[in-house]
Amino acid sequence: MKLRCVFILLIFAFKSFLALAQTEQKTSIVFHPMFGNSILTPNNLFYSLGNNGDSIQIETFKFYISAIELLKDDKIVWKEENSFHLINVADEKSLTIFIPGASNTVYNTISFNLGIDSLINVSGAMGGDLDPTKGMYWTWQSGYVNLKLEGRSNLCKSRNNEFQFHLGGYQYPFNTLQKVILKVEENKKIDIVLDIKNFIESIDLSQQNQIMSPNKQAVLLSEKAVGIFSVK
Amino acid sequence: MKKAVVLFSIACFVSFAFVIGTQTLFYIPKNWPAPQYNFSKNPLSEAKIELGRKLFYDPILSRNGSISCASCHSQYTAFTHVDHALSHGIDDRVGTRNSPALMNLAWHNTFMWDGAINQLDMQALAPISHPDEMGESIANVVAKLKHSTAYPKLFFTAFNDSIITGEHTLKAISQFLLTLVTANSKYDSVMRKLSYFTVQQNSGYRLFQKNCSSCHIEPLFTNLQFENNGLPVDTTLNDFGRMKVTLNKNDSLKFKVPSLRNIEFSYPYMHDGRFKRLSDVLNYYTSGVQYSNTLSPQLKNKIKLTSNEKVDIIAFLLTLTDKEFLFNTNFSFPRTK
Ligand code: HEC
Ligand code: HEC
Repeated sequence: MKLRCVFILLIFAFKSFLALAQTEQKTSIVFHPMFGNSILTPNNLFYSLGNNGDSIQIETFKFYISAIELLKDDKIVWKEENSFHLINVADEKSLTIFIPGASNTVYNTISFNLGIDSLINVSGAMGGDLDPTKGMYWTWQSGYVNLKLEGRSNLCKSRNNEFQFHLGGYQYPFNTLQKVILKVEENKKIDIVLDIKNFIESIDLSQQNQIMSPNKQAVLLSEKAVGIFSVK
Repeated sequence: MKKAVVLFSIACFVSFAFVIGTQTLFYIPKNWPAPQYNFSKNPLSEAKIELGRKLFYDPILSRNGSISCASCHSQYTAFTHVDHALSHGIDDRVGTRNSPALMNLAWHNTFMWDGAINQLDMQALAPISHPDEMGESIANVVAKLKHSTAYPKLFFTAFNDSIITGEHTLKAISQFLLTLVTANSKYDSVMRKLSYFTVQQNSGYRLFQKNCSSCHIEPLFTNLQFENNGLPVDTTLNDFGRMKVTLNKNDSLKFKVPSLRNIEFSYPYMHDGRFKRLSDVLNYYTSGVQYSNTLSPQLKNKIKLTSNEKVDIIAFLLTLTDKEFLFNTNFSFPRTK
């Protein structure tokens, strides 16, 4: 009898421990880089482009997201402090962002900026993901590169068929910062697909293979880049 | 007695000072505007300033260890490049612009002749990465500093963090640059009523105020704006200045107005170093200014000066020399104590 009591108690304790462990499971945002239906990995792999047998290789794909917020019916229910993340497809670890503080909130929308806002752009040297050693800061003209996409395609008439799109700029009229808003199901894991196929196909690579400073094209492409993000 | 006078004059002519022991490392001269640099994000400390000074003089910042910041910014010429019209960098490569004198940078809010840099901390990235200047990358500089024997300890002392980062490297360099305050020329002592201009200097000062000070405004001797002072384009360089940054036609041929402090030593003059002597500059302002759509309005009416008046203005400009600044050992190559 006594033993049975202890046993039940033990089970009870174990169960509540499990429940506890579950609520303590951290909320995370996980990015899934894709090229159409294929998983996107930097280097080596060829992805076909359009219907004419053209192809593309991706060497670098990285970008900043900032100001992550969770919303419930258009009301902000949680926001991350000092929210700056460099997402780099070549760095598996960077594809998951833990936001433990959000675990107990009820939300149905996530919003974040693609890029770095103008205030940070004029605030001098920063650390962490914003450290200039990360290679996402222009050296000859101040400002963060919000998004870097580099690779090769037979369509490019450039040296080694290379293309380089460095999108950035924080000053009017070339402000490239974009807001991304996605409906999500409430879940401990927010899965965000990064599909660059449509984005790349919207660029005429035979005419345009380089953007390296803030200008009109950078703004246009940044607006299109919002379409890279969707929810599984 | 002498000490008392020194203390008194410091109290009178300085409205803020960062003093360590007996050394004043940074100060805001009295009646000067407030600095632009946000010190709260990078509070000054002696250890950081010293670290920045060591970095400024260390060729470790360049790809092959041959060029330091001081190679193009030497103290005896108010931190510009001695004698070169266009600055010389790594492997003897020649740049496209004249290196400006570095002084009173805490009061600037844009940097470079075209204002391409928006904050002092980010300035060092430009020469470090430029293929014709230091040919390096900040990531590699940080890697080299990490592997050096001296720097990890110095960074720890300065930032309480033994992991060297790009942020701390840049902030330390800023700290040293911020200390380069020049405000002790003859002109300054005349303004403080401790000294008098000669008749010629005084005449030059009046002429300067009439013709030049709309752009070269006191006490910094620059309005920190971008202006087109009418220089004809050098077709071998095709440098259109500010327009390169803003892509705005209205900014064509505008350059950041340089300060004229220590102008005696910072020759050659202009963004491309086209003039060797101050007399060339004065002759230019009376007879060389070229009209274009973006020419600054102040220069649309021709400046008229007799040759005597030009000599007077030059006599005044020479009163902007601050020997204390040019020979201040706090700014010179750091010798180990
Ligand atoms: C190869 C020569 C060279 C080297 C080395 C060099 N500079 Fe310069 N510096 C220049 C030139 C040229 C300019 C002006 C460039 C322009 O306007 O595009 C300049 C501009 C500057 C300015 C802007 C001043 C103003 O009033 O706008 C600062 C500050 C500066 N340099 C600091 C540094 C520091 C710090 C280093 C070392 C990390 C350094 N420089 C290394 C040549 C050099
Ligand atoms: C409309 C504004 C304006 C006025 C008025 C003006 N300047 Fe300038 N000054 C400039 C600008 C801008 C530059 C830099 C031009 C460049 O390099 O492209 C400059 C450069 C100089 C330089 C060279 C500084 C250096 O470090 O290279 C000197 C010396 C100078 N001016 C003296 C004068 C004198 C003397 C007068 C009056 C006779 C005068 N300026 C009037 C705007 C002005």
